[in-house]
Amino acid sequence: MRDRTQGRRNRITMDLLIDFLSRLLTQFQSPSLAFLIGGIALAAAGSKLQIPDAIYKFCVFMLLMRIGLEGGMEIRDANLGEMLLPAAIAVVLGCAIVIVGRYTLAALPGVRTEDGIATAGLFGAVSASTLAAAIVMLEEQDVFYEAWVPALYPFMDIPALIVAILLANIHLARQKGGERERVRPAAIIAESLRGSALSALLLGLVLGLLTRPERVFEGFYDPLFRGFLSILMLTMGIEAWNRLNELRRVAHWYVVYSAIAPLAHGLIAFGLGYIAHVLTGFSPGGVILLAVIAGSSSDISGPPTLRAAIPSANPSAYIGSSTSVGTPVAIAVGIPLYIALAEAVFGL
Amino acid sequence: MSHYKATKVVIITEKLILAKVTKLIEAAGATGYTITPAGGMGSRGVRSTNRAAVIDEFSNVKIEVITGDKQAANRIADEVAEQFFENYSGITYLEEVEILRPHKF
Repeated sequence: MRDRTQGRRNRITMDLLIDFLSRLLTQFQSPSLAFLIGGIALAAAGSKLQIPDAIYKFCVFMLLMRIGLEGGMEIRDANLGEMLLPAAIAVVLGCAIVIVGRYTLAALPGVRTEDGIATAGLFGAVSASTLAAAIVMLEEQDVFYEAWVPALYPFMDIPALIVAILLANIHLARQKGGERERVRPAAIIAESLRGSALSALLLGLVLGLLTRPERVFEGFYDPLFRGFLSILMLTMGIEAWNRLNELRRVAHWYVVYSAIAPLAHGLIAFGLGYIAHVLTGFSPGGVILLAVIAGSSSDISGPPTLRAAIPSANPSAYIGSSTSVGTPVAIAVGIPLYIALAEAVFGL
Repeated sequence: MSHYKATKVVIITEKLILAKVTKLIEAAGATGYTITPAGGMGSRGVRSTNRAAVIDEFSNVKIEVITGDKQAANRIADEVAEQFFENYSGITYLEEVEILRPHKF
């Protein structure tokens, strides 16, 4: 009798697993991932294809302006009280990822503490391209998410960078035995908000909120969004491969960290998002995006901020980790994983 | 037209610290400088001039300053090396040049 129950339970677990894996497989066919992997493959094959700098920057602008505009237009009728708990989760996660990452990395052999802090800082910060890829994948599958969810981006990004810079200054002061340099959070916040990605996102939000950009949104930003995302993904793929050479020169533990960390961060955020779902009705799509934001590692605006604030950290270590391993893992494995997980958990 | 001797300071470094370097140049008394994008190979790896630099601030620039005041030229080169080159990649060197209109420098 017990054997039969046991057997049935095993079968149900197997079915769930097979279902989950087949959903995961479908996610891999998304065009965004295909372009990312295509970019990596081209660069690996030594292709001469180059995406000009200006086009790359324009793609980033397009995506964030579009995400911002849509968010702004929909926030008009949204109840922003609902945003409080997810925003608090975003802040806490941003800080916690950096603190845990700092001590994890510093404990690994061959990792200099400053490099570890900067790497953890980037993994706590947020990638605009990863967020855009996730939004497209959710829209392709008609998964609903609250319009303000993309606006959680700065709530995780900025605290993560501040904590990283703070930890680095404490560490460097301890090393030198002198006074530690004062960290001015206001300056870091201003610098982050002025970064190209966040400026575009915030301008879009404000324009969407205060003006009536429906026609330019529907006629320009929205239809071109996917095309530009595919170019951005291709560029990210090429960049990931090219940066891999730099990563080869630093400790191999960075690769291990950057392969595991995005998924660990994403799954923790998924769990916290689930709690918000139970408590305040946070949508499953919102939970997925929160996991994506937490699992992503900054590749555009975070590196220069850290390079300027922690100059002694080796950029090859943290940019290589984030761009070559962290972002591809976050996009190619993380996003499909969270969507498949949400389908299993919420029965989407 | 007669030619005059002057000194050119060349600094090749990361775009990230461009603003700080130009401030230093102005403080040293130079009246102008020229900035061009730079690429190449050095002890900290290869920088391309035209590949999409995902992080624009990490691309390199070449800054050229011409000054008639040799002391000022030395000061710029020394201060840049001292303040930045421990943590940022860069090289700096001086060249003797001939200029046409000395009042411009």
